[in-house]
Amino acid sequence: MSGAVTDTVDRITSRRDPRFEVTLYAYVGVEGAHTLDAYLERGGYDAARRALAMEPGEVVDLVKASGLRGRGGAGFPAGVKWSFMPPPDGRDRYVVCNADESEPGSCKDRYLMEDDPHQLIEGMMIAGHAIQATTGVIYVRGEYHHAYERLRAAMEEARARGILGRGVLGTDVDFDLILHRGAGAYICGEETALMNSFEGLRANPRLKPPFPAQAGVYGRPTTINNVTTLASVVHVVAKGADWFAAMGTDDSKGIHHAQVSGAVARPGVFEVPLGITYREIIHDLAGGPVGPAKAFIPGGTSCPLLPFDDAHLDLPMEYAAMANAGTMMGTGGVIVIPQDQCIVDAMYNVVRFYAHESCGKCTPCREGVATWLPKMYQKLLAGLGTPEDVDLIEDMVKNLRGTAFCPLADAAAWPVQKSLELFRDEYEYLAHHGTPMYPAKDRWSA
Amino acid sequence: MKIHVNDVPLDVAPGTSVIDAVFAAGYDVPYFCSQEYMSPIGACRMCLARVGAPRKDRATGEWILDEATGDAKIFWFPNPMATCTTQVMEGMVVDTLSKEVKRAQNGMVEFTLVNHPLDCPTCDKGGACELQDRAYEYGTGESRFVFDKRHQEKHHALSEAITLDRERCIHCKRCVRYFEEVPGDEVLDFIERGGHTYIGTLEDGLPSPFSGNITDICPVGALLDSTSRFRGRNWEYHHTDTTSLDDPSGAALRIDARTGRIERIKAGLNDEVNKTWIDDGTRFGHEYADHADRITLPMVRKDGRLEPVAWSEAMRVVRDKLGGVDGTKVGVAIRADATLEEGVAAQALAAHLGTGRLDHAPRPAASVLPGGAPATLRDVATSDGLLVLGDPTHEAAIVDLRIKDALKGVPPADLLPHGVPIADLRLTERMPRKTEILTVVAPYRTDLMKHAGRTVTPPAGGEGALLRALLALAHARTEAQGASDPGKAADAALAGWDDAVGMSAADAAALLDALAAAEAPVLIWGGFVSADPDADAAARALATAVGAKTLILGPMANAAGLERIGVLPSHERYAYDPASSEVRAWILGDLDPAQDPTVAKRFADLDALIVHAAFENATTALADVVLPAVTGYEKEGSTLNAEGRLLPVRAAPVEAGAATDFTGVVKAYGEAAGERLEGRSVRSARRVLKKRLDVDLAELPDDGRLLPPAPAAARGARALPARRAATGSALVVPSLVRIEHLDRNPTLLREHGGPTLRMHPSDAHAHGLTRGEVVTVPVGGIPRRLVVAPDDGVPEGTWLVPTLPDQPVGLHPLDLDALRRERGETAEVA
Repeated sequence: MSGAVTDTVDRITSRRDPRFEVTLYAYVGVEGAHTLDAYLERGGYDAARRALAMEPGEVVDLVKASGLRGRGGAGFPAGVKWSFMPPPDGRDRYVVCNADESEPGSCKDRYLMEDDPHQLIEGMMIAGHAIQATTGVIYVRGEYHHAYERLRAAMEEARARGILGRGVLGTDVDFDLILHRGAGAYICGEETALMNSFEGLRANPRLKPPFPAQAGVYGRPTTINNVTTLASVVHVVAKGADWFAAMGTDDSKGIHHAQVSGAVARPGVFEVPLGITYREIIHDLAGGPVGPAKAFIPGGTSCPLLPFDDAHLDLPMEYAAMANAGTMMGTGGVIVIPQDQCIVDAMYNVVRFYAHESCGKCTPCREGVATWLPKMYQKLLAGLGTPEDVDLIEDMVKNLRGTAFCPLADAAAWPVQKSLELFRDEYEYLAHHGTPMYPAKDRWSA
Repeated sequence: MKIHVNDVPLDVAPGTSVIDAVFAAGYDVPYFCSQEYMSPIGACRMCLARVGAPRKDRATGEWILDEATGDAKIFWFPNPMATCTTQVMEGMVVDTLSKEVKRAQNGMVEFTLVNHPLDCPTCDKGGACELQDRAYEYGTGESRFVFDKRHQEKHHALSEAITLDRERCIHCKRCVRYFEEVPGDEVLDFIERGGHTYIGTLEDGLPSPFSGNITDICPVGALLDSTSRFRGRNWEYHHTDTTSLDDPSGAALRIDARTGRIERIKAGLNDEVNKTWIDDGTRFGHEYADHADRITLPMVRKDGRLEPVAWSEAMRVVRDKLGGVDGTKVGVAIRADATLEEGVAAQALAAHLGTGRLDHAPRPAASVLPGGAPATLRDVATSDGLLVLGDPTHEAAIVDLRIKDALKGVPPADLLPHGVPIADLRLTERMPRKTEILTVVAPYRTDLMKHAGRTVTPPAGGEGALLRALLALAHARTEAQGASDPGKAADAALAGWDDAVGMSAADAAALLDALAAAEAPVLIWGGFVSADPDADAAARALATAVGAKTLILGPMANAAGLERIGVLPSHERYAYDPASSEVRAWILGDLDPAQDPTVAKRFADLDALIVHAAFENATTALADVVLPAVTGYEKEGSTLNAEGRLLPVRAAPVEAGAATDFTGVVKAYGEAAGERLEGRSVRSARRVLKKRLDVDLAELPDDGRLLPPAPAAARGARALPARRAATGSALVVPSLVRIEHLDRNPTLLREHGGPTLRMHPSDAHAHGLTRGEVVTVPVGGIPRRLVVAPDDGVPEGTWLVPTLPDQPVGLHPLDLDALRRERGETAEVA
């Protein structure tokens, strides 16, 4: 990431910093902002024009320099991913937008697509130019019907005005989009399962290698990015890599979105500079916890939870700090768990989700995550568990970690493991007494 | 690449999978989803091992060294790796023995058994089950799963021949991948997801001629061959590794017999021929061998009735009957799936009787031996330009699969110390197929056409005209290259082209271009070409012109072998013709020419009719002596497949009374005649064959041996005078299912449906025929009972009828006026 701002002292790491301004979400919630006219009026597609005037390689370098990392959860540097694309051979190549936002606790992409669809289209045009793809695919989560309608309308508008299609924006570059709705499977958020699903096949993850850049959609070179990543690219081009890199930390630069839910006063999506502390997110932006809290999930349910204490609240929202704390920044979906929420019940809710979403391809996930693990939780919660059952869950989860075909099994196993580490007393209380330490009122996620 | 598996240093080829390296090193890892000849997918997660590799310093390009030892430092992967989908890397270290690996494997066995019923004592797979073995070897021996297991359908008939127990399925996906990757018939898939996943089909049954192979590769007792369900335990079966006599592919079989009866047939492994696949006709078509009406004793006609007698008495009658006939008026004919040893016996018998009227049938008008450049099945699988004339799926089913191998463009893998690679990483799911290399020519729509980049439909019997036109074009184009204006000359060559041959001039030119551009072109033809000597000559000339190797698919398993050793008439005038009035006595092996009423009428008038047969039929009904014959499963001997490979045929222990093969007939005859004839036993015949072929057939390896093509001079001496191609509006077509046995194969009959009369729907309409109606219609004189099956893949005016040994492939007269409907009789049409 050479060329980026290196002076960490000056970085924007708080939303209170007067230099920070909401960018990606600037027009979310603004009536009528989703139309092409409104978008053009606020300077829309200027960034695409600028990018199209550059050499593809220059765009890749610019994104590399910005330090933008994938916002889908894994945090792979976007520019580096783009540079994996092989040189063009005259045949099809694809840029795919992963808009199958399904991680419980995440909802940032939804509003971007519903209220500012052209921002995503512009981001895809820039990415398409950078990797020299003429076809883009937006794979939208099936349940996001409103987002689908908005995107479809936006694409029609863009085609009518020569923004998509042959010779976009008056250049000699061709670029068009295919909008594809999912059919309600979390696994389609996994990039290779998404490609299978798009091709009309069963949504099982594919073997890697070959990676999508080598053989992706229809076996052709493909780059897959998250909605927020692609939308961010627009502003990296518009305002420069330095502007983007001025926010955040050495490890994690730029803008992200904290999507706060759970027991807080003001749940919602907040655009923040990376490096912001979870204390600022939860207390200042989301209005603080409603009553005492005991834990929070920092980035969607697949990320192990952290204790709700000073040491963890002061951690910055960044990839490295979360990895050091034994969890992940994930998608930035922060979930606050109140003190009086039975953690076994809470984890059952998580486990049940992954059990329902397991694709069934590999043994540990199909038999462990989808079959055995939820049955163990049901047994405990029905008051039929024994302390040995708690040990069994712990042992089974060890067998699940790192042995499955794709990360879905880890996504179920890791939070369970962490919950046992932090709140084993609650599991054992339930196993001994047959009733939870904190009897359920309403399920917190309901 | 140098790697270490545990303590064993190993040098393996780049691209090898770690699982194959582990087996090559002599260690074991359990696996369920990987399968020889199929793509590795890493789904069962059973083959986990700890894997590490050294790393190079990015800056210097040097190996990063371990400071303590000074050796390259091993960086272990953080998680256990599925060895089937991991490629070896230089300096890789694989650990399959440590506690961590053991733990991962224990855990995976436990997960696999979570929903698998522990019904091994009543499961047909018990004793031969991969999961059972692996659970013993790698499991902990006890289950911690205390809940109800998944309940799903237990006896789901996936097709008439295959039963699925959905509770036993461990979702290894072998069967689903098999259909897409091997025959290319996507008829099975996973349905639902997660813990509810099950395999199923949206079609009615499994419409693929190769469906049975999934019962071989299922690692558990989920997919079972319905012909053998609940028939025996695996350790009770007597296994006989032999070669299929069903078609000229020469596929390896394993016959499992118990208490004197064949219970099931499984595919054998022959890497050069069928790999581990066989077709459904071969697999499920064995029930007839156990049928109650087998002829088990010799029978002699006394007072107009056939009475069972001892062999010696039967042979005295034969000797006495033949004694009164002029030797030159005796005809000897054996079926074209007789072994080479039986062929020698027939030759010895004919020589002894002093007749030149020796033949095998069916025998097409043209030779089925390839010329100078015969193609092996490996050549087919590695070809990059294939011209197929005929219907290989039904003529020699394995050829169909080897053609599909060529479409993948992945040459056969080298064998490893443990055999075929378990996980060949060059293979992937849903590989792109190079359909453009395949051209299929047939007078109707064949199964293989689905996979062909170019298809040509000449009129029935029009192969000769098409081939001659192609040959003329090829020659004209060659000459044009030397002309002063090659472009103009090439256009001139195309000018005389007649589209009526079945393809346009542009297509013909493109086909010749493709064959010319191919590095290893192969020409394959079957019965339609061989039925017409002119077509055959043109095909051979075209192969020479484009530099292609040739593969000829004969009418039955050993047609090439019997022609090669000369089970042929001394003159074409003496060729097998049961209607001939010159013959006064017939000795027939497994043939039933009296199905034709004209022949039956002639036979009533013979001096002697001696029939060697396994079942009573129209000809035995007229015979003076009937001798009990064994089926192809009960013979000891050898066969020569289409590619010219000598293959061993071995006898399964089947209870068939006093039945013998044709060498037994010759032995008994010799004893009665007081002569020690050559070919009186398999051993005796092999002594003869060793002299003629320079191969000791007793020492034939399981995967056979390629027989070098006969020297041109020898072929010249045996060159057969041309016969005229037949005409008629019935096209007798090859059939993967042997129609002559179909009535005695109940499972196959249900799965396949009865023999069909296929015609264009408009022809059906014009004759008032409805689908499923059963009719009897004379085809080439033989009244055929057939099920009406309109099919828009059949050109108008052509009526397709499946072949019988007594009704060879090609055109035959069809008497539609004599068509008789069977009132109220209808049948399922597959």
